[in-house]
Amino acid sequence: MAEEEQMKFFWRIVDLIVGGIFIYAGTIKVLDPVRFGLDIDNYKTLPWFVSVRLAFYLPWLEIFCGLAVISRFLYRGGLSILTALIAVFIGVTIAAKLRGLDITCGCFGHASEHWSFPQHMAVDLSIFIALAALWFANELQRPAVQQ
Amino acid sequence: MKLRAVREGLILIALAFLPAIGEGIYFRDKVSWQSRIPASELVTVDQARSWGDSAMWVDARPDEEFSRDHVPGAFSLNEDHWNELLAQFLPNLSRDKRVVVYCSAESCNAARDVAKRLRDEAQLKDVFVLQGGWEEWLKKSK
Repeated sequence: MAEEEQMKFFWRIVDLIVGGIFIYAGTIKVLDPVRFGLDIDNYKTLPWFVSVRLAFYLPWLEIFCGLAVISRFLYRGGLSILTALIAVFIGVTIAAKLRGLDITCGCFGHASEHWSFPQHMAVDLSIFIALAALWFANELQRPAVQQ
Repeated sequence: MKLRAVREGLILIALAFLPAIGEGIYFRDKVSWQSRIPASELVTVDQARSWGDSAMWVDARPDEEFSRDHVPGAFSLNEDHWNELLAQFLPNLSRDKRVVVYCSAESCNAARDVAKRLRDEAQLKDVFVLQGGWEEWLKKSK
């Protein structure tokens, strides 16, 4: 029982960290949506008029999903969207690298501008793994909670 | 379980629209909705060259790239050492000249950021971003 409580506590900490990362990343982008629009546009996958509209929308989605993960309200929805977002982001980053684009990602503000490709990948994959782990942990805990 | 995740996801997707629309309305006049940089703020290499001595060139790339090579007569002004470089640039500035800012390529943001700061902080009016940046300059110089 104590071990189960410990595990629950551990996953709550992971919830807080992952949710906090997305709230932080979203807030930075909300403050400068034009900058984020340029960052999206740099991937050369979408026309500008789509990039700029996404730049206004995606940060709020990150913030709401981050809050959902932290508060555990609409938790599964939040986890699903964040997992999809980070998977898409990893995909387009790899594609951009393969196309030889020199991308500056504003994901975490000025701090991340000078990150190398492996650094970006390490951070993104860590977040992806954390999200996937939260999914599985939630699945394992669920029957016990419901019964 | 999956259905619930989808339903919750849709709620979050819908909720995020509300502040996004509000922010879009707030920024409506500050954003170029149709092109990356407003056409009025862009200049091609040929146009900028045709301005001759009435143009001042500003290199927004990092120091090491500037030291490697740059447009002849360009001043280095990047955000890594903004205050220091701006102090060196301003005494050379002539208010009746056009300022052309460039960074490494079409995809970089540094030129747009430096141009914006020159307009906001140095109250310069005729500040342009070089289309295609240094890469385009090199192509046109071959």
